[in-house]
Amino acid sequence: MTTLRMSRRFDASPERVFDAWADPRVAAKWLFTSPTSESHSTELDVRVGGGWAIIDRRDGVDYRAIGEYLQVDRPRRLVFSFGMPQFAEGFARVIVEIAADGTGALMTLTQEDVPAGAEAGLEEGWSAMFETLAVLL
Amino acid sequence: MVLDQAPQLDHLFHALADPTRRAMLRSLAGGRRKIGELAAPHRMSFAAASKHVRVLERAGLVRREVVGRSHLCRIEPAPLAQADDWLKFYTRLWTEQFDALDAVLKAQPLEDPAP
Repeated sequence: MTTLRMSRRFDASPERVFDAWADPRVAAKWLFTSPTSESHSTELDVRVGGGWAIIDRRDGVDYRAIGEYLQVDRPRRLVFSFGMPQFAEGFARVIVEIAADGTGALMTLTQEDVPAGAEAGLEEGWSAMFETLAVLL
Repeated sequence: MVLDQAPQLDHLFHALADPTRRAMLRSLAGGRRKIGELAAPHRMSFAAASKHVRVLERAGLVRREVVGRSHLCRIEPAPLAQADDWLKFYTRLWTEQFDALDAVLKAQPLEDPAP
């Protein structure tokens, strides 16, 4: 399985960073949208098992990002499935972890891709692939 | 779109999920090898090694050439580059999101003054 892991520090409390993901009014300002988007909708049902859907129109095309919440632990951790049906089959799992860091917050995002049809036994594949890639490049 | 190649990526995962096949790929990264040479470090039969090579071929990672009585294998890195595209796509996507989030958090106190 993949592991894409990225961290960023923000000058804001962990609660504010968490709410930026979980409050639709805040998320609508930044998550999967851009200042040039023609229209945008953000629906977040932030509870375990709740769904989320973001539709962002660019150049007349509605781009959809969808998923379901798997863990909700404000302000430390938010886990959700994430799919963009126009770009890829299947869903990834995204883990957002937020920790206090001085006066700010350190946010770490981990994306684990689960390719369509892949089974548990194949999970080693992604890390193995990048290990192999590192040998080749 | 480059990401919409799930069936091919599934073959790739399957091929890479096995430590023997990963070792074979590392060996092939050093140059062309005969099936027997790929089998030797794993104490396996020619037939067993050939089966692993077939899985690697199906994933597009290995090409086999028949030279006289030998089967020579060479590595084909293109599918791995495809996986690298995946990584680059999502790295760029999240970097853009983080930049936008940062801008929102910086602007927010002005928009939502404390009561």
